[in-house]
Order: sequence, then C-alpha cells, then structure tokens
Amino acid sequence: MHRRLFLQGGMAAGVASTGSFSGLFSVPAIADVAKRSNKKCILLWLCGAPSQFETWDPKPGTETGGPFGAISTNVPGTNVSSLMPRCATIMDKLAVIRSMKTQPGEHFQGIDVLTRGDKPRPPFTRPILGSVIAEQLGQLDSPVPQFVLLDPCPEGNEFKQFKAGNWAGWLGAEYGPVRAGGDYSIPNINRLEEVSEVDHADREALRQFLSQKYENDQRSDAAASHNAAFNRVKGLMSCAPLFDLNRLPEADRQRYGAGAFAQHALQARHLIENGSTFVMVANGMQWDNHVFQHEMHQMLVPELDNVLYQLIQDLEQREMLQDTLVIAMGEFGRTPWLNEARGRDHYPNAWSMAMAGGGIAGGVVHGATDDLGFEVIDGKVDNRNLFATIFKALGVDPYQEYDLPGLPTFRRVEEKAEPILEILV
Amino acid sequence: MLDVMEKIELKRIKEFDLPSGVLAAAASADGGQVVVGCMQGVYLLDLASGQYELLNRHESYVSSVAWCGDHTVVSAGYDGVVCWFDVEKRLVTRRQQVHKFWSWDMALSPDRTRLASVTGQYLAGGYKYEPQIEQEPSLRVLSAETGDLIRSLPHVPSVQAVAISPDSRFVAAGNLMGEVRIYDMDNGELVTKWTTADFTSWGIIKSHSYLGGIFSMRFSPSGDHLLLAGMGPMRDPMAGNGKQLWQRWGWMGESPSLLDQTHAGEAGEGLMEVLAVHADASHFLMGGRLRGGDWNAALFDHASGNRVASLKTGYRVTDAEYFGDGKQLLLAGAKGQPKKKKDGKFNDFGRVEIYEF
Repeated sequence: MHRRLFLQGGMAAGVASTGSFSGLFSVPAIADVAKRSNKKCILLWLCGAPSQFETWDPKPGTETGGPFGAISTNVPGTNVSSLMPRCATIMDKLAVIRSMKTQPGEHFQGIDVLTRGDKPRPPFTRPILGSVIAEQLGQLDSPVPQFVLLDPCPEGNEFKQFKAGNWAGWLGAEYGPVRAGGDYSIPNINRLEEVSEVDHADREALRQFLSQKYENDQRSDAAASHNAAFNRVKGLMSCAPLFDLNRLPEADRQRYGAGAFAQHALQARHLIENGSTFVMVANGMQWDNHVFQHEMHQMLVPELDNVLYQLIQDLEQREMLQDTLVIAMGEFGRTPWLNEARGRDHYPNAWSMAMAGGGIAGGVVHGATDDLGFEVIDGKVDNRNLFATIFKALGVDPYQEYDLPGLPTFRRVEEKAEPILEILV
Repeated sequence: MLDVMEKIELKRIKEFDLPSGVLAAAASADGGQVVVGCMQGVYLLDLASGQYELLNRHESYVSSVAWCGDHTVVSAGYDGVVCWFDVEKRLVTRRQQVHKFWSWDMALSPDRTRLASVTGQYLAGGYKYEPQIEQEPSLRVLSAETGDLIRSLPHVPSVQAVAISPDSRFVAAGNLMGEVRIYDMDNGELVTKWTTADFTSWGIIKSHSYLGGIFSMRFSPSGDHLLLAGMGPMRDPMAGNGKQLWQRWGWMGESPSLLDQTHAGEAGEGLMEVLAVHADASHFLMGGRLRGGDWNAALFDHASGNRVASLKTGYRVTDAEYFGDGKQLLLAGAKGQPKKKKDGKFNDFGRVEIYEF
C-alpha cells in the first residue's frame, strides 16, 4: 500500500487495524500517567450547530435576540436563555465560552475542524478528539470500547458524509469509534443459544491459536488486523448489555427525557461508568435550523438543558465529575439575523459552547460578544485554543510533536495555541 | 412583482415598509388604518399618509392583532400575553397573562364577544420526538370585553392555529401533528376532532423529530367547511420545501371528511401560514413563503378550488385580510432580516401591501 494512503488511514476504514503509529508517536511516561489519572470525556455533539442566542448568549429585547427571554442563574450577573432553566441552577458547575470565533462556515469543514481540532493538513489525517483521548487515556486491555459514538440517526447530510470518513486518522482504526444507538444496534453481538459458553470459548481459543501462529509465521499485517477485529468483537460481546437501552433503570430514563438524544446521553453516562473513556453523543444534524429556528429550538434546547443538568448531577453524585469532562458544542453558531424562512443560518464569527467537570472550573463565563451578537469583543477563542484547553483539562500534552523522517512536524495543537487558563482548574 | 391569472386581476395600490418583520395585521372598520403586529411591537399604520406609530410592546414577538371595537386593539404575543389598547387614548387598558408559553395565534369571534388564543411548547415526549402532553391548557377562550377567562380547553402541543365560526359559537384549533379539534364555546364540549398527516414532517435526513403542522385555519362563510393551510411533508424538514398546501374539510357530518385540497400543478414549495376567506364565499387566499415555484400568495375559487390569481410578493406573507367591503386585500409579511446596520439602524424589513381586485 502506498505510504500516503496508509498514513491517511485508508487501510483501516471500518476494520480494526494494527497499522497504528501510536507507539511511534506517544511518550510512554506521559501516557501512563494520564491513564492512571482515570480521566474521561463525554462530548454532546450538537451537530448542525445550535443558536448561541437561544442557549448561552441571550440578547433579549434586541433586534437579533429572537423571541425567547433570558433568565438569571446561580452565578450572579450571568444569564442564559429562558429555555435553560435547569442549567441556570447549576451554572456554578459550568464553564461557558461566549467568544468562539472559528473559520469554517459549512458543516463538513466545521465538523472536521471542531472534532479534530484543526483543518486538514495532507497527507496526514488528524485523529478526531475521541480517538486521541482513547489512545492517550484509554485502557487498551479493556473489553469495553474506549471510544463510542452514540448516534441514532443514520442520516445527517454532511454529518453522514463525515461519519463515513476516517475518524482515527494516523492513530489507526483500533482507535476509531464503536458506533451504536438507535438504528445502529450492534448486530449479532450475542452468543448463539445453540453454542454453549464452554464450546464458544473453545472455538475462540482454537481460532486465536491458529491465527496467531499464522500472524507470527508469516509476519502478516492482514492476520494481525483480523485478530484485532476478533478481539474487539469479543470485547463487545462481553459488554453487550451496556449497549441495551432497555436495561437502563426506568427512573433514570424518565429523568433524562424521552427523546433519542436524551436516552443516548444517559447511555453515555452508563458507558463511562463502566469503563469507556470517550463517548460522543449525537443525533443526526438536528440543530441545523435554517427554517423554523424558534419552533425547533423550543424543543431542542430544553432537551439539552435537562440532559446537561442530569448528566452533571449524576456524575457529581457518583464522585466522577472531577474526572469526567462534559462538553456541549456544535461546529459553529447561528446568524444574529433571521432569514426569510424564519431560520438562522451558519455563523462561525461569534458563538458559544459549554463545558463542565474534569479539569474545568465551574461558574466561569469566558469572553463576550457585542450587544447584538455580531462580533466577539473580548476573549476570542478559536479551535486551537479550545483543543489546547480540552487536552490540558484532561491531562494530555497539547503540544506533543509527531516527527517522521521527511514529513512535516505535527503537534497535537498547532502553533502552541494557548489554552483558556481562566476556565482550567 | 405581480403575476395575473386569467380570472381575477390583482392590482397593488399601496405599499409600506415597517421597521421589523410583520407577523399580523388587521384593518380598521373604516379601512383607513391598519394595526400591525411586528417582532418589535404593535404599530398603527395610517393608509392615507403612510405614517406609522408604535402603540405598544410585548416582551416578545407580536403574533396576532385584531380590532375589538372601533377604538380598541387587542394583540397577543410570544410572551403569552393578550393586551388591550385604546387607540383614542393611546393607553393600554388591560394586559393579561393568558399562557405560560407563546400565543401562537389568536382569533376574535365575528360578533366581537370572544377571543380564542392557542399555545403549547413542543417538547420531546417519546423516543421519536412525539410531542409531550400539554403543560397548560392549549386553548383559552376569553371575553373580548372584560378579558375574563371563559374556557380552558385541551389539545396536544404545539397548537399553532385557531379560528372561530361565523356564528361565533365554535372554535377550531390545529396543531403540529395535524390534529384538528372543534369545540362548542357555549358549553366547552368537544364537537369533533380528526388528524390529517399531510402537513407534518418527521425528519429522515437531518433530524428525527417533527416539524410543520397546521399554521392557519378559517371557517367558510357558511360555517360548515374548515380550511387548513401549511406545508406538505418533507424528508428533510430543514429544507422547508414541502408543497404549498391547503385542505378543505367538511366537519359537521358523522365524521369529518376531506373535500378538496391544493390541485395538482397549482402549487410550488414553501410554508403557507395564512388563509383569508372572502365574505361572499367567492374565493379565499392562501399565502406564505416561496421556496420553489412561481407564487407565494394566491386566490382560489371557493367552489371549484381552482387557483384564480397568484402573486410573487418578494417577502414571506404572514397575514392577510379582505376589507373595504370586500374590494380590497391586505397582505402583510416579512423580508429576511438585514445582515448589518446602515447609518446606525437596520433597514426596514416589515411589509404591508394593499391590493384591489
């Protein structure tokens, strides 16, 4: 295989691969410390891009503010949209960035940059945040998938296109996500009833012996990849109940809310509790409200509000919040102006997102926009600043270099972009 | 731009720009003034001079306006408030919190004795985002004179359109899921209900949730038919490209029946959010947004359902009314909001137009 294709992870799509450079790139001492730190992350991926006006940066009574009001929070002087009454009561646990300013204005490019941390730089494909965290902080010997994508909507226009691409990049497909949720129930995950547990174990032992022997004798990458895939499936089989929504406590399911996004956010908590390192929850591209902006946000924002509230409360009660970073964001924001279809369009110039837990200080609002929300006027944050902050919060070196002979030097976060110190613990 | 069909000629005789998007408008009895509900407040527009004046503000967008008497304007808003304003005294005479959530739509009975206002927040009630049951009564009937609450009636949120029958006795309310309920306002009894799936989308492409529903409804002058308007189902509701759709239902028989709907070849794409019925039952108007096709407001022959005139207004039509003894037509709406200020202010993006036919 051509080296370029190999580096882009072309070999790895959809199948676990041992063609990973993680051993080459990682610094074992740092990685070991990070793994012992037990840090984890839940990314609530608000794909399509929510409106900052109807969430974290309300401008009530202005020409651009929209029809919803603002409410005070338990942090004096900080208001959020009236659609977020629950988060208003735990604002002291949240860090809000109101000054995101990024470049891409289209979904695919926005998703790419805000999930990988930077724009493409061929020939490398930069790994997605979940892959980096799984590789740096995950437990490779765990049967529980370290990076899980829960997304019940199989479609999603540009997000669908993105989902079909290479997520793990140069790390190799073993750090790609296990995808589940909704239409993506994992098929054939359960042992057949006619095969006893002992018989099943015997068959697997024989398969493993023969294929390992072949891999060793022939020095076969293909056999190694095959073995990695089997190991992954074996792990999935052992933790199948974790992926069954119906096994989650009914009271918890009601608390989180009935919608697919809420149910899978609860499942994310469950996976994190049981050994996953990074869980990303999405639901298609439901926030892309070019039409019916307010009619959709009246439903979507309260669901997000409740999910964030329940998740943060649950993690705190389980004494997991200080080690679990919760991120809620999309790929950009929405325009201050309404279009003729009563929608808001894409707006990367000034938008908001929120984080809580693992390494992040609560009760902080970083940055500001002008009175009408057109421009960032204080504390500009771009994708590099954001990823430096996330990595710092999780105890991962943001500036680790990747060097290969004859190829440009890469850093986990380029240009030594500064983290937002104000929101780090 | 005016596009004239063969049967009725529409001629624009007046046009006005207003500072913010217009969501509702109603002409005074003498036809000299129009009260206008905008995103930023309630305005009084003098049709002769073109001058307008801010009368009153709500805490949010103004969704409906009506003349409750010769000198009294009543408005409802997304703040859930219904407000009475004395135009002569330039004074708010009553301000009443009727809903916790928006007033999506308000109707005044023809005898001017009752007001009906509908509300309801769409919240996720099921895995596929079926709407939750109502958090408050979705339909409130008030005394138009005193504001006293007469009826609180149930429905399934969000209830987006309301109409009162010509005899001022029945109230019809339509929701996101295409469910229509008709109540007898005299006793609060549910007279009939039915659901049409033709106005509601469940997102397949971008989102697994519901969108659309019934956005306008009007009784026929005889009262036995109910017109509904909205947009046909879409695979991607975010595209807003559903069929421009009206339906006419007979509701008085044993079971409600669909009598007619937008004829094949006569509709483009876009949300239709307003209906107006001519008093002599000759025709009705449906208007809204143009997403695809060649019109966004059109007249339809009441008997045959055929389109008899059409307009491409260049803005989203949000309200319409026949006035001036039925010889004039008022259209109101909103253009896209300007993207930046010019000389310290945004350009006007509200619109009122008067047509003769």
